[in-house]
Amino acid sequence: MFFYYCDLAWRSIRKTPMLSMLMVLAISIGIGITITTLNVYKTMSYNPAGDRSEVINSVQLWSQGLDTWDEFIANITYTDAMNLRNNDELSLKAATYRTGLALQSDNPKIEPVLQSVRVTDSDFFRIFSVPFLYGSYWDANVDLRPAYQVVISQKLNLRFFDGKNSVGKTVFLDRKPYQIVGIIDDWNPQPKYYDPLNGAFNDAEEIFIPFSLTGQEEFDVWGNTSGWKFETMITYNDRLASEKVWIQFWTELNSEDERQSLQGWLTRYVEQQRAIGRFTDTAKTPSESVQISDIDKWLEDNDVVPKDNKILVGLSLLFLSVCLVNILGLLLTKFLKRAPEVGVRRAIGASRGQIFSQYMVEVGMIGFIGGVVGLLWAWGSLTALHSYFSMDQSVTGLDASMWIITPLIAISTAVLAGVYPAWVVCRTKPSVYLKAQ
Amino acid sequence: MLHIKPILSSLMRSKSAPILLLLQIILSVAIVANASFIINERLSLMQRESGYAEDQILTFSVYNFDPAVDNIKQNQVDQQILRSLPNVIDASSSNMLPLSDSGWMDRYVDGPNPDTAKSTPGFAFYLGNEHLLNVMGAKLIAGRNFTADEINTNLDDSGMMAIVSQPLAKAFWGEESPLGKTMYQGEQTVTIIGVVDKLQGAWVDNENFEYSVIQNIDFGGNSSNKSYMVRALPEHIPALEEAIRKALHAENPNRVFDNFQTLTELRNLTYSNHRLMATVLSIMVVLLLLITALGLTGMVMFNIQRRTKQIGTRRALGARKRDIIQYFMVENYLICIVGGVIGGMLALVLGQQLMSLYSLPMVPVIYPIASVIGLLVVTTLAVIVPAAKAANISPAMATRSV
Repeated sequence: MFFYYCDLAWRSIRKTPMLSMLMVLAISIGIGITITTLNVYKTMSYNPAGDRSEVINSVQLWSQGLDTWDEFIANITYTDAMNLRNNDELSLKAATYRTGLALQSDNPKIEPVLQSVRVTDSDFFRIFSVPFLYGSYWDANVDLRPAYQVVISQKLNLRFFDGKNSVGKTVFLDRKPYQIVGIIDDWNPQPKYYDPLNGAFNDAEEIFIPFSLTGQEEFDVWGNTSGWKFETMITYNDRLASEKVWIQFWTELNSEDERQSLQGWLTRYVEQQRAIGRFTDTAKTPSESVQISDIDKWLEDNDVVPKDNKILVGLSLLFLSVCLVNILGLLLTKFLKRAPEVGVRRAIGASRGQIFSQYMVEVGMIGFIGGVVGLLWAWGSLTALHSYFSMDQSVTGLDASMWIITPLIAISTAVLAGVYPAWVVCRTKPSVYLKAQ
Repeated sequence: MLHIKPILSSLMRSKSAPILLLLQIILSVAIVANASFIINERLSLMQRESGYAEDQILTFSVYNFDPAVDNIKQNQVDQQILRSLPNVIDASSSNMLPLSDSGWMDRYVDGPNPDTAKSTPGFAFYLGNEHLLNVMGAKLIAGRNFTADEINTNLDDSGMMAIVSQPLAKAFWGEESPLGKTMYQGEQTVTIIGVVDKLQGAWVDNENFEYSVIQNIDFGGNSSNKSYMVRALPEHIPALEEAIRKALHAENPNRVFDNFQTLTELRNLTYSNHRLMATVLSIMVVLLLLITALGLTGMVMFNIQRRTKQIGTRRALGARKRDIIQYFMVENYLICIVGGVIGGMLALVLGQQLMSLYSLPMVPVIYPIASVIGLLVVTTLAVIVPAAKAANISPAMATRSV
């Protein structure tokens, strides 16, 4: 019966090609726009931490003075980062920021390049489950006693060492030799959740060096440095001693107890710092001057999904509803025009249910074609976004879930639009139309 | 004479189609009004004058990775080389690039005591030498530029001077001239010596975007990572990149050059989100109008077929073609105006939501009104064609089967 209805539906669609095309056009454009904005939204709001989202936490401190910032800032000062690094109660902890250094190898054929570099502690790799191809991260001792060791990406390893195991070999960063201790396998979380402040959809750094080198190597900071009071920063030591915030701090909390205990430690820490004249904004209590953010909160606080995108999703859903109303109207006029035909079919024995299902099959078919065309629209517009507006590939690639979401939206939109007209038409009284014949 | 009453009663008899049309108009007005408001907002953001000779400025960065190099000396040598290149009008180092979405922000206070002093609004903080103003192409409207012997190399040197942008001067000093005023940055004093007409900062969405200051520090010597701006005529810029690389590389090979971009390119990149939003919303509005128009045409066409007999009868009884067309037009306008009024109110509600959720400005009433007018035009076009066709129905044909 279903295939017979499909056949009938196809004939009916072909009988009114203009109207059917209009309906398919309306539904496909509505779906095309909705899927495009939904796709960008979905990929942007993706949480790469997965089920570790609550385990990975960053720490923010209300270190500012009175009447300065009115919300928690993602970064903390060097002083606070160093004190947190010394907190032995934390099992895994890593301070981190971004810098840039010129990379060279022994291979004279390869010109030096300026590379974005992540400065961090060994625990960083464990907190963020960074996969290693060869070797591993540097020893925990290096976090206390600086050594010139480096972890590089497989991509750099391919370029400089033909992809062979290069652990133990040397690369030069700003002409200083660093010993390779590990090579990372493919790892590029999008959004770049461990540092969304420098562009949430940038690629992950390909070079990682110990945070403990900061004091002696005086790395530039490639990222935001904010201050709430005037402090001259002439020397690098001025920066380290200042109240400027520029470092992110990450830790792993495996239970509510661990969270409570960190909260307690931080509260005591704030009290201690207040006693020595820091954290001068006392409008907040010490325990309120502390914020521990898991990844969900962190992504939300750092506006990883721009508000523009949320507005677009809302407007495109409204747009889809206009298309739905449009199709509803068209279907209604079309079905009503066929009421005499229905009258005859009813008179010779078709049940209401059969008439209803026949029309729903027709509507579903229109929805399906609209969905397929809509997916093409979406694919085209995502490609256009990538090439004309240089949006990142990771955001404009069609998300796998769209293969399920699109037909779902398409068919449910069509069915929603079709139920009322089909219901109206199957209620046709055979007698009215037979008489008119 | 408009026969509104019979049209109304005929509409009331078969309610579902007009209700759907009404719904569509309401939603369309709500969407079009808000979308076009946002589009207009973004376009006016993008059309602001920056105050720079944008298409004449080439920006790039140099990273000296040889630790032995004297950054201050190297910076001076590099600038000499840049200025002596053929076709270069002027060149300067800077701590930040205009319209780049990244840079320094700072404030001055007007007295030595931080507890009592009044603070200026935050401003983009450019550090550069006597060439920077010329490279930017900014127009000095009061006071003077720095001279070569006034240029400092460090933030804690004495004899700090500043050139401020006119909007900043207006915001802080009002009608009074800022020239000769002494401002403070911690212990440091700064004398205002000039005012430029316009000088935008780095963050295009910042409310202080028009507030900027240039201070007399040649910043290129402070760090191994330096930004430069070179000014040349647009036709000379494409060849310049290679020339600069070559000349600077010949002087000292231990460095990396990066990010060659004209200020126009930089500006386009920084505004790309706004351009994207405006484009996507414009496409949405056009498609929405198109779909509404097509849907309406389809519906009217079918209505006419259904009413062929009725139209024929009316024609036979003496209705002119005009009357038939008028009938459909009045029907359409009735629905449009009712839908427009409700839609306009919905647009304002939606605008209110957007305002409270995303702190957008409130939609002015003119946008819903304009959207309704736009829809009236579009629906007129959509209805007039099938209506004219209906008017051509010959009474004989239409009534034959009766």
